[in-house]
Amino acid sequence: MLTVPVETQILFAGVIFFLGLIGLLVRRNMIFMLMSIEIMFNAAGLVFIIAGTHWNQPDGQVMFIFILAVTAVEVSIALALILQVYHHFKTLDSDAVNNLKDSN
Amino acid sequence: MTERDFLCLTPFLIIAIAPVVIMIVISILRNYRVVYGFSVLSLLAAFGSIFFILPSVPHTIEPLFIIDGYSMFFLGIIIISALLVTLLSYDYIKQLDGVKEEYYIIIFTSTLGASLLAVANHFVLFFLGIETLSISLYILIAFQRSKSNSIEAGIKYLILASVSSAFLLFGMALTYTAFGTMQFGAIVAALVIHDPLSTLVLSGFGMMMVGIGFKLALVPFHMWTPDVYQGAPAPVSAYIATVSKGAVMAILIRFFFILRGFNNHYLFFAISGIAILSMFVGNILAIRQKNIKRLLGYSSIANMGYLTIILLTGSNKGVQASIFYLISYFFTTIGAFGVISLLSTCEFEAEKIEDFKGLFWKRPWIAIVFTLSLLSLAGIPLTAGFIAKFYVILEGMKAGLMVLIISMIINSVIGLYYYLRIITTLFSTASEAKLPELSLIGNITLALIGISILVLGIYPGWLIDIIVRFVTL
Repeated sequence: MLTVPVETQILFAGVIFFLGLIGLLVRRNMIFMLMSIEIMFNAAGLVFIIAGTHWNQPDGQVMFIFILAVTAVEVSIALALILQVYHHFKTLDSDAVNNLKDSN
Repeated sequence: MTERDFLCLTPFLIIAIAPVVIMIVISILRNYRVVYGFSVLSLLAAFGSIFFILPSVPHTIEPLFIIDGYSMFFLGIIIISALLVTLLSYDYIKQLDGVKEEYYIIIFTSTLGASLLAVANHFVLFFLGIETLSISLYILIAFQRSKSNSIEAGIKYLILASVSSAFLLFGMALTYTAFGTMQFGAIVAALVIHDPLSTLVLSGFGMMMVGIGFKLALVPFHMWTPDVYQGAPAPVSAYIATVSKGAVMAILIRFFFILRGFNNHYLFFAISGIAILSMFVGNILAIRQKNIKRLLGYSSIANMGYLTIILLTGSNKGVQASIFYLISYFFTTIGAFGVISLLSTCEFEAEKIEDFKGLFWKRPWIAIVFTLSLLSLAGIPLTAGFIAKFYVILEGMKAGLMVLIISMIINSVIGLYYYLRIITTLFSTASEAKLPELSLIGNITLALIGISILVLGIYPGWLIDIIVRFVTL
């Protein structure tokens, strides 16, 4: 079996993480921003699984299950909030949702 | 798990069971007063149970929990501030339309997350605590669904907090890859064997710092603070400023001290830079604010900057100073936000400085508590804030952190300017604006907060004695 060095695996997860970050910074639609955040979380989860395999421990996968549960909760609340945003602002463009700012 | 383990977890069990009971009660009978009374009693019971378990500490429950004097102290502060916020929420939440009993359920879940952070000894609990806390905060911030400001603050906090959590998580994962353990104590043991400056470790700690810095609103991760403070309901702003930040500070201090991070030059310089920047940016941006909630947001950035100095002292005395600082800061901030939430109504949020014009002539009692809070934030003698700042400066001087201490003193002077500006408004001639009637609970809570600020300022010795007796790290 071909073994990939752990550094390469981490680098791969890091690339996914930063793709998520770039997506978050470039996209202006809130649903897409949410998806980018999910990508970042899952990239972090991937590193946990890589590390768990590397150290021969179950801890990494246990952590991944926790991450899955937490992100599921987070997404459900985020979607509910996004519905409310659409209700109030009639748009999902994150630049338009900017009433709170320093007024001088 | 043994019997002793369960005994030591009593406060957490109470805080975890209370929201379930409230949910069941709501499904049978929806009564605001019953839910409110039950929440206050449960928080009191959780606080009382701390004294009950004190004889059994220190105790560790492998591998997740570490229950010692330090965590019990933080737990106590967190529960007391949650209790004060609950007491002050009564009128504010009561006048909202739609469902409102759920507010107290979420207060409990977020308090549970915060109190888990105080006892965490493992990355799993660290992550779960911080997520339970911040997911509950998303709901609390956006609780006034009819107001677009509240929703906007909620979505802003949600997106930024999730990104910071992702950073924190990735940092934890990298640290785990480097050391093969997620327990704080074992990481230290592994750190001795490993090269502490490998790319993996440095990027891991760096990314964790991004996550934690965001939760504490340290510069350059502070952008969300004023917006969220302004948009959130006033009691919730108080909750974010105190419980959420205090809990994250608790775990940061523990993690940093276990790792002896102050011995690492890179971390030392990075944190000094963050501390100095937070003080200056927070105070300078606060000067021109006309909105008190935003102003208090910026002032909380500066206050967290002062508190970061403690991380670099690297002594037990420093940790004790930080706890005293947090207690005084909690009372002060809840006092200030409490005044705002008591004077706000459904349609009208008293948040502009003009709204408080001549408050002293209309509601002298409230104005005095507000003045005390602001003086304490500014660090004027005879208030708790002065002793707290003095204590931090003293410990900083002992550790030889002259640059940090000097910038803290400069910033205290800048802070004085904008706090005193609000106080002069309070005592100027009254305007015609009508103020809402105040409830008994709100009055009593504010009076308690005012008295505590004075007592801690005039006679702080007993509290310092208790802290010194229980808290070592």
